[in-house]
Amino acid sequence: MKKQVSLTKEFVKGIWEINPTFKQLLGFCPTLAVTVSAMNGIAMALATTFVLIFSSLIISLIRKLIPGQVRIATYIVIIATFVTIVDLVMKAKFPELSKSLGPFIPLIVVNCVILGRAEAFASKNNPLRSFLDALGNGLGILLVLTVLGGIREILGSRMIFGAPILPDSFEPWIIMILPAGAFLTLGLLLGFSNTLTERKKRLERESLLNKYRPAKAVTEVKEGGAA
Amino acid sequence: MNLFIIFISAAIVNNFVLAYFLGICPFVGVSNKTSSAVSMGMATTFVMVVTAIVSYLIFAFVLVPFKLEFLQIPSFILVIASLVQFVEMVIKKVSQPLYRALGIFLPLITTNCAILGLALFISMREYNLMESVVFGFGAGVGFTLALTLMAGIREELELADVPKGFQGAPITLIVAGILAMAFMGFAGII
Amino acid sequence: MKTVIQMLVVLTAIGLISGGLLFQISSWADPMIAVNKQKATEEAIYIVQPEGKSYEKVSADGFEGYKVFGGNKDLIGYAFVYEGNGFQGKIRIMIGIQPDLSKISFIEILEQSETPGLGTKVTEEPFKNKFKGLNSKANIGWVKEGASPKDNEIIAITGATISSKAVVAIIDSGLKKLRTLKEGGKL
Repeated sequence: MKKQVSLTKEFVKGIWEINPTFKQLLGFCPTLAVTVSAMNGIAMALATTFVLIFSSLIISLIRKLIPGQVRIATYIVIIATFVTIVDLVMKAKFPELSKSLGPFIPLIVVNCVILGRAEAFASKNNPLRSFLDALGNGLGILLVLTVLGGIREILGSRMIFGAPILPDSFEPWIIMILPAGAFLTLGLLLGFSNTLTERKKRLERESLLNKYRPAKAVTEVKEGGAA
Repeated sequence: MNLFIIFISAAIVNNFVLAYFLGICPFVGVSNKTSSAVSMGMATTFVMVVTAIVSYLIFAFVLVPFKLEFLQIPSFILVIASLVQFVEMVIKKVSQPLYRALGIFLPLITTNCAILGLALFISMREYNLMESVVFGFGAGVGFTLALTLMAGIREELELADVPKGFQGAPITLIVAGILAMAFMGFAGII
Repeated sequence: MKTVIQMLVVLTAIGLISGGLLFQISSWADPMIAVNKQKATEEAIYIVQPEGKSYEKVSADGFEGYKVFGGNKDLIGYAFVYEGNGFQGKIRIMIGIQPDLSKISFIEILEQSETPGLGTKVTEEPFKNKFKGLNSKANIGWVKEGASPKDNEIIAITGATISSKAVVAIIDSGLKKLRTLKEGGKL
């Protein structure tokens, strides 16, 4: 059904066009919880992307074998397996990081983004496309978590990636690294991103309108068609 | 006394939604009407208490004795999924009015990370059976509380002139941030 | 009928494959996780007993402690972990103390969930240093900033009084437990 879509498009769309956090409004729990610093955000995004890529790949490979009635259960088992792998590897190799991400690694299982991509994309597309789609969505998550973590870290503890960047005279906004700060920052970012999208849409419509201004009748037809 | 502290901690001080960010998806999705928020909260509380019992039993009597702790995540999530199905069936048989009130919310609960979070916290903090039940109930009450408060505020927001880009999820998150600040006032009472 | 069989086969196969895979990975990861944990404990022991060169685990009545030895195998003190409630959650502290329990050597906060920027100041050096050499023959206590502390008291952090109090209370009850164990000859 999506055969006409190019492979590049399949990959790029996840980063912004259907960004999991900003556009699909999915996976808020990890987004909010772990982003006290940019590093934490990146680690969480990488862990999520790993799970997303491998579960999409596997699900896409065996999509024709899975009976429809038990597909969700199958997806959940596959996702849970990869999450456990990430959890164990992190505990073994990166104990510090695993400590600061705490119980949120296991919760990747119920991150709706992964199940969402499995159900909406991987179960209907070939492995290559599913891989690109997962990679794109993963990068989208990475983008949001890094920006969110960065903002909260800079304002909340004067640092970025653990290195101080704001002068000591700047009193850190402790609220930013508290739960409340997470809600406020994401709410504002989401609001601004929506406003920008609205603005872009309006400008596009206006430029289209201007283009056809001389012939008024055509404009109306065009506008009706676009809406 | 210890049980009381666990309850207060789960319900108010370390509220699942406002302090641990668990269960945000239904929080943003269902919190636009008070009546459905209360129903959703009740359904979740019910599933949470049952999950607390079952996941405690599985962890303590199956996973730990057989050294299968690494199967924790898959087994918990499967238990939750089948539990929700089972609860739905039972409610349908036992009480039609209750089913009509909670029915449509039950499938949503499977993907509510608060439930899995609850199961994981129970095994991580090594609660006993009684503590697990109280913890599950407290978490459910806290979830209902946050959801209902939010719904009340959002009903009022309908009448407010929110900028276009901020309508829906963004303003909900900002209000949640303010609620979280208010809940910080409870810190220190345990 | 065919779908039912297919359902069962697929689910069983997936369950077996994922179980087997996880078993492999966990048997690879478990020893490393154990090593990490031990390394963390070891580091904390040598932080609270800087002169320590080796240690030996002692446990009695569900109490986890370590005898710490110096360069020539002489007992230079104890290190033990104790926990209690802080402002928002559990605080776990590693406490180092002289062999006769008369003075605290140093402390290290292992786990805490205090308010970032305020309560978390108890994990920072200036606060921990206040415990260095604190007289622990009897109870230890705290005073507010501005008051002059006795040699068994520390000054609480302004803005984090509850966290400071909690740390003092946890150490104090840990010491009490240690004293009864020592008097009972269980160490």
